[in-house]
Amino acid sequence: MRQILTIFSDSYRLLKAKKLFWVALSFSIMIALLYASIGIGENGISVLFGAYSLDGEDYQMSPMLAKFLYLMVFTDYMVPYWLGLFAIVLALISVCSVFPNFLEGGAIDVAVSKPISRVTLFFAKYVSSLLFVAIQVFVFCLIVFIAFGVRMESWNLGIFWAVPLIVFVFSMIYSVAVLMAVWTKSTLLSLFMALLVWGMSWAIHGIESLTYRAAYTAAAQGVAINYATGESEVLDEPQEANQSLVNIHRGIKMAGIPLPKTRDTTYFLNKLIKIEGKDLTQKSAFYAEAEDSYNLDMQDSVEDYENRHSVGYTIGTSLAFEAVMLSLACFIFVKRDY
Amino acid sequence: MTESVIDIEEVRKRYRGGVEALRGVSLKVPKGQIFGLLGPNGAGKSTLVKILLSIVRATECRGEMLGKPVGDKATLARVGYLPEHARFPEYLKGEEVIRYVAGLSGVPRADAIKRSGELLEVVGMKDWANRRMGSYSKGMKQRIGLAQALVNDPEIVFLDEPTDGVDPKGRLEMRAVLKMMKEQGRTVFINSHLLGELEMICDSVAIMDQGKIVRQGTIADLTEKTRHYEIRVQEALGNMLLEKLKPHGVECQGELLTMYQQDAGRVQPVIDILRADGVTITSMSEARQSLEELFMETVGSHGPGAAMPPKIKQKENV
Repeated sequence: MRQILTIFSDSYRLLKAKKLFWVALSFSIMIALLYASIGIGENGISVLFGAYSLDGEDYQMSPMLAKFLYLMVFTDYMVPYWLGLFAIVLALISVCSVFPNFLEGGAIDVAVSKPISRVTLFFAKYVSSLLFVAIQVFVFCLIVFIAFGVRMESWNLGIFWAVPLIVFVFSMIYSVAVLMAVWTKSTLLSLFMALLVWGMSWAIHGIESLTYRAAYTAAAQGVAINYATGESEVLDEPQEANQSLVNIHRGIKMAGIPLPKTRDTTYFLNKLIKIEGKDLTQKSAFYAEAEDSYNLDMQDSVEDYENRHSVGYTIGTSLAFEAVMLSLACFIFVKRDY
Repeated sequence: MTESVIDIEEVRKRYRGGVEALRGVSLKVPKGQIFGLLGPNGAGKSTLVKILLSIVRATECRGEMLGKPVGDKATLARVGYLPEHARFPEYLKGEEVIRYVAGLSGVPRADAIKRSGELLEVVGMKDWANRRMGSYSKGMKQRIGLAQALVNDPEIVFLDEPTDGVDPKGRLEMRAVLKMMKEQGRTVFINSHLLGELEMICDSVAIMDQGKIVRQGTIADLTEKTRHYEIRVQEALGNMLLEKLKPHGVECQGELLTMYQQDAGRVQPVIDILRADGVTITSMSEARQSLEELFMETVGSHGPGAAMPPKIKQKENV
């Protein structure tokens, strides 16, 4: 245990010494404060602590819908774009050199000549590198939690689910970097490969979501598409899903199975944060009071699209991907002569 | 019989591609001594040390270190190590490096704090303890390296080229630290190519060449066979006198007479002959081969840098 704590303490010192960590943390705090400056209430919406506001009858809403919209800004914009994209890229750039530096001759010799197993050493180093993201996301969530609590008079601890979810997303991508690092000892190559795998995964899952929408969501919303002419029209009744599109979607989904599910994982935050017992994926329940039946129908099909992957599938296949990457990396690390 | 802290036999290491770095190394290192491992570049010295420290896996290894089989992880808690070209995290301060290594060695936090303070004083780095490694000179880094190797109060300390990059004053201080380690009862295992330095501090040495130990023993034992006597005279001797000395095995070069004898008694008749002839003797001394001469004689013509390990003959594909 003493050895593991030492590795964590060393990683924390490394983190503190990295300028990029402080830059990313400053941006995180600024963006979280920007979020805190937004006010959504029964009488309307305001930004920059009331400097600009939208009020009037059109903007009036129930307290539950206000809470839902306020959290949706966090889950649909802050989490996927800042925490799930830019913050992760900054973290990746920062920690990509951890393993290559650790493996340099004269440095690794000291570590592996100590009474600690190589497996423990590897995993302690890997997990401690995740601190970079964990600290960033925790600080961000803390500000969001306080802002939500003060504005809505409701203290929603579910916001903190973003910490393990984003750390998990980062850990998937970082596992690729670690595998490349222990294999090649190159920082640049490990960063490049991590970004490449992430990009590939993002593209395949992006195409999968597009084909799903074209095959199922559009049909459920009564959109009839003539693929010969390219013309489309919206009908009153839901349409039958196009079989060719269904097959294409199935093929792309199969191709994406072994890849990490970064987008879908961050989406689970919507399931984990609850308002009065309802999770944020149940959009129709929140809109029910305000929206007409057409929009509710639309929401149903959107919910079907958003919930098309089960937690087991998304987390399970992502964990399997990470386990394979880390097992290979650990095997190389343990078996290598330094 | 002297107790051995390292007792290994037939250690072999074959790297991928068939390069055989160690070809059956057998070695005994007596407890409480300063032991030097010499050899030209590529002889396998560092590989041997790395095998003892579990950094490199041996293809074949029999034997023990501190009474436990080589490769036993728990034993490493009783061992200290300063690698060649040691690199410590630049973002850490000198004191933090020592505590970091203490932590990896499993030294309790309170002991690590106490020991790091003491060791910083021993290696003369107390005043610079709170500066980052990145700001240190090579010699200062090496001092910190020496301190971290001692932080777990080890029974054996492995030092790979410890004086590399250290100035003459630093070397002198390092020699004092090594002697202090010996006085504390530790065994010090040094890999070095600075033969003059080793000769000054080592109790025993082993010479490695092409993956094998070719000589091993105390410096006195190894050079015993080369013991001889040198007599200096005021003027060069005449031919008549030289003829008289020849049967006694005397070789003459100008004013220097050399007798390859290990028995001082056999030198006495030569002195009598010289004195009888009225020759003025200016000095007489016992001399031995230096470690450097012994090393050069042992590793032969290929010398440092020329010893490439032999390749294993690859099985032919049918």
